Amino acid sequence: MPVDQIVKTVVFVIFTVMTLGGGLGVVVSPRIFHSALFLVLSFAGVVGYYVLLDAGFLAAVQLLIYIGAIAILILFAIMLSRGLMAERQSQSNQQWWIAALVALLIFVVLAAVLWRVDWPVASQQALASPSNAISQEGSQLGRDLLGPYVIPFEVASVLLLVALIGAVILARETES
Amino acid sequence: MTAVPTSWFLLLSAILFVIGAGGVLLRRNVLIMLMSVEMMMNAVNLTFIALSRHLSSLTGQIFVFMVMAVAAVEVAVGLAILIELNRLRATTDVDDVSSLKG
Amino acid sequence: MPIEIPTLNFIALAPPLIVIGTALLVLLFDLAVTDKRVLGYLGLVGVVIAAGVSIAMGPRPATTFQAMAISDGYALFFNLVFLATAGLSILIAIDYLERHDLQRGEYYALLLFSASGMMLMAAATDLIVVFLGLEIMSVALYILAGFNWRQLASAEAAMKYFILGAFASAFFLYGAALTYGATGTTNLNQIGLWLSGGNSDPMALVGLGLLLAGFAFKVAAVPFQWWTPDVYQGAPTSVTAFMSVGAKGAGFAALIRVLRSGFGDSAYSADWALAAAVLAVLTMTFGNLAALPQKDVKRMLGYSSIAHAGYILVGVAAASESGVRGVLFYLLAYAFMNVGAFAVASALERRGEFSTTQRDYAGLSQREPLLAVAMTVFMLSLTGMPPLVGFWGKLFVFRAAVEAGMSWLAIVGVINSAVSAFYYLGVVVQMYMRAPAEYSPRLVGEESDAKKPAAVNLEVAIGTAVLLAMLLTVVLGLWPGPVASLVTMMPLG
Repeated sequence: MPVDQIVKTVVFVIFTVMTLGGGLGVVVSPRIFHSALFLVLSFAGVVGYYVLLDAGFLAAVQLLIYIGAIAILILFAIMLSRGLMAERQSQSNQQWWIAALVALLIFVVLAAVLWRVDWPVASQQALASPSNAISQEGSQLGRDLLGPYVIPFEVASVLLLVALIGAVILARETES
Repeated sequence: MTAVPTSWFLLLSAILFVIGAGGVLLRRNVLIMLMSVEMMMNAVNLTFIALSRHLSSLTGQIFVFMVMAVAAVEVAVGLAILIELNRLRATTDVDDVSSLKG
Repeated sequence: MPIEIPTLNFIALAPPLIVIGTALLVLLFDLAVTDKRVLGYLGLVGVVIAAGVSIAMGPRPATTFQAMAISDGYALFFNLVFLATAGLSILIAIDYLERHDLQRGEYYALLLFSASGMMLMAAATDLIVVFLGLEIMSVALYILAGFNWRQLASAEAAMKYFILGAFASAFFLYGAALTYGATGTTNLNQIGLWLSGGNSDPMALVGLGLLLAGFAFKVAAVPFQWWTPDVYQGAPTSVTAFMSVGAKGAGFAALIRVLRSGFGDSAYSADWALAAAVLAVLTMTFGNLAALPQKDVKRMLGYSSIAHAGYILVGVAAASESGVRGVLFYLLAYAFMNVGAFAVASALERRGEFSTTQRDYAGLSQREPLLAVAMTVFMLSLTGMPPLVGFWGKLFVFRAAVEAGMSWLAIVGVINSAVSAFYYLGVVVQMYMRAPAEYSPRLVGEESDAKKPAAVNLEVAIGTAVLLAMLLTVVLGLWPGPVASLVTMMPLG
């Protein structure tokens, strides 16, 4: 195995530990603040995967939106509400074993299918010029968003407007 | 050749998705549930990107772009609802106290 | 590098664009207008224009918007369902918000945005657009559910709806991702093309299952129905009226297009038909049995809406043209009778109280004969009594099941309708057979303006909504022909 491959495999394993470890940490951690920090770790691991998958532009976007915006917003919400910060959340759902069973079942089905799927050709195109692909991909994404995908792009702006209005009217102070 | 086959990524995102789903079903704390949903969406994004590279089609990346917008929207709205909820709970408690005195 | 400007066919999306434009106008006028009821009427004008444009587009050939959306008869008919629901809900809200002192301009804007999301879902031919339409509709509904900022129940309803809605969206997305992985595209027609070529892939089947789960949540089908009663009860009644029909209709609109355009001609068509049939039986039975003991009318209607999702699933399970037609007719009928029932319920709510119990209906025939007659019409129509529009909806849906060789499914549906008569007629019995209940104050020191249950002030807008819904329920029941033939002229493009 060439050095390049070994390095990539090692990097993959590191990111896996980050992503899944962080994910488990979110769910298991008794303190909600720790959960939020684990969430950041998990998001960071996913950024690494995006780079491995030659999606450089989206890796940057992931970093900005998920870690820079979403995780930070959640951290702020936790710190601003004192009650949540102090709370130790060890109580779990009464029917935890049903939930665990359902989750396990979903996983078994998914794993069985995804593992068996035959992946004969990894895309030659993307592999041909890995360094080029990253710089190309960003501009092609922009073209697609303003070309064939212009409707989703525009519609997303309506969605953002709805969220903006909603967040303002829900979180406002009560009138006197 | 990249060293890591596509199915590894898919399996991994399936695990992450299931961890997130487990979090929503197991935990009763609203914020943890919200974080778990975000992890599920992350898992979906990873699936999309792995498939996008595998199929060498950009559609998957466009979808991820939209999912990220939606994820941000959901967090903003979810936290706003949480703030409303906390405010109402606080005032409700105060009301309870005064009605006890009265 | 020059950027090519794509040619855009905005005509194909004219109705939702009109609704979005109206919502923006409402937001703009909100700054200047002090009487917010004006904004409600402004929204109503936009809804009527959009409905007119949809009807005018009907006879024309379907046009597409860059393979992302289509204006076929199917989408245009659904536009009418959503616009009728939105229009009646706005009429209810104008007075309802005023009475409960919740009047704000953003309400109407959010309601219109939500309606535009529903219309996008019905028109979408790509999973990306389905997803975004779904989110616009849902996010606006989460906010509307929590619109009552003085009531804990409203915020709790919003929270519950939000968390479970986002959870369901994740399942939908995962389904879309796996479908994309199997077929290499998110376009429904191309998915259909790939699958009809004899291709199959276990990943596509799992993807289909996850998509089904996501939609089942939106239409409140068993086993994804737990959120329904709490959310319906906690949300302001004017929102519940809109949500109960709109979200369900939009969920079915997108579900049927995904199943028929995407997975219709595939190795899996028998699988999803069977899945829909099983879901239909579970959903009908659970909804009706759970509705039986309910005392709170809003909650009862919440459970009964689960049952109606089951009846509509019977049409989906038929997996035929006539099944789709039955669903279209059923949803239009459901829009009038269900929103009508919620209109009566919201008219009876006292200031500061946000739901009505069976007791509030006692002796209504003496206090408010018109409301009692209207409620009776809605209850009978929801049961499926012959001269009313609900009967035809059920008939078309069940007939499609029989034609598809699923007679057993139709029989289960008929038995369920009989069960539903118990709780629907229970309300009628209260109104006509019981004397008005003595008012007993629920809280010590409650204000005296609500002392007697007799004083129901039927305002103009709510009264109009009740009257319109009642007229359409009766008239379309007596002459179902025009709509029935309209439905046959509205194929899936």
